[in-house]
Amino acid sequence: MTHSLHRRGTAESLSEDYVMLCLPAIGINDEGHDQKLQEFLRITLRHDPVNIGAITLGNMYSHKTEEVVNAAHGIVHAVFVKQDDVTEVLKELDKANLGMSVVVSGIFEKVDECCEKAGLKHHTANFSLGIWGRTEKLPSDDILEVTTMCGHAMISANLVKDMVREIKAGTKTPEEAAKVLAPQCACGIFNPVRAAKLLAAMAAKES
Amino acid sequence: MRIDPEVCIACEACIPYCPMEAISIKDDVAVIDQDECVDCAVCLKSGVCPVDCIIFEPAPWPRSLRTTFSDPRTEHKETRIAGRGTEEMKTNDVTGRFKRGWVGLGCEFGRPGVGTRFRDVDKVAQVLAKHGVIFEAKNPVTILMEDTKTGKLKEEVLNEKVLSAIIECMFPIEKFKEVISALREVAKEIDTVMSVECINRADPDGSYPLRKMLDEMGIPYYINGKQNVGLGRPLAEV
Repeated sequence: MTHSLHRRGTAESLSEDYVMLCLPAIGINDEGHDQKLQEFLRITLRHDPVNIGAITLGNMYSHKTEEVVNAAHGIVHAVFVKQDDVTEVLKELDKANLGMSVVVSGIFEKVDECCEKAGLKHHTANFSLGIWGRTEKLPSDDILEVTTMCGHAMISANLVKDMVREIKAGTKTPEEAAKVLAPQCACGIFNPVRAAKLLAAMAAKES
Repeated sequence: MRIDPEVCIACEACIPYCPMEAISIKDDVAVIDQDECVDCAVCLKSGVCPVDCIIFEPAPWPRSLRTTFSDPRTEHKETRIAGRGTEEMKTNDVTGRFKRGWVGLGCEFGRPGVGTRFRDVDKVAQVLAKHGVIFEAKNPVTILMEDTKTGKLKEEVLNEKVLSAIIECMFPIEKFKEVISALREVAKEIDTVMSVECINRADPDGSYPLRKMLDEMGIPYYINGKQNVGLGRPLAEV
């Protein structure tokens, strides 16, 4: 389950894209973990997440926020666009001492800055070596920047193309188009704020 | 997945939602190409069909693998984890699965958005096995192997198509160059894409020995990635 790895984009765009995961280790500290994951989500909600999700239910674009919190089980997620928000969440998590594992996805050096300010040290890293094999089967890079924000590939390239067409036609704003895509990513790791910017850029390029 | 032809009004609303482009209009109704469909249920769960004519019926083995590997909302019975992989490095602070001096390798076939048959997974797993990697026992692909010493997958699963499937394994860091070189060669023989990842435990000074090795070998890696920040308890000794 590497769903928050392999997100593609420029440094500028990725600097507004942080995913936080919280989960227990099955068989070690998973007893009564649902309440701890709920507390994780409540902490994130105090710091302006652009998405939260619980795999058992969905995300804040497909369900009410409190429903997502109450459904916490197994693993939960939150997405942020600001580095400072990630730092503040890490500080609160350290104080809360939930005992759950926490993973932050984002540009390595920026996540390290967050950890340092929060008094934490990174433990283990997961590096993406990119896409190998028949890469000619892939859609264009700008489409991939949107679709790879759902690591389970629940957002199709054709749906992204449809949204770009709608933006160009004036039937949807970029923000509205991003909110059509967001519910498809069941985990809630899709970043609709970043997606709106990417979709707007695609529409402008094709005009 | 299938569409009830008696109910479908051929509005085409479901077509762009399919990650595998398996839905088309034939004879004035939408139909799903059963060979290409990975039973991910994106079309159904999007709620886009105005007449509710998209139907999911659990499939028998081995087609049942399509759903368990393609729909992240489905929990694997064997691993108790939803999705295609395991906790891997996400809980390494507690499990100690990846120790210093070791590298975790993940090859996720079909990602992003291309899909894969298990025959491509089988091809790469057998090459990795020859280089002595240790396959992750809890990974759903490992569970499909006839023998983890050879990496060979069960014959009956090879033609099944899924949105993605991931091989997870580990080996001592000294073998990294050898394993990556072999992976590069076999990647030329697969009929899909694979997203490749590596896992490494930080040294006490915070550096990642693997990053240094990647830089020295000239292997490109993304500027972004995942980091476990060490908040899990009890902490494992690694």
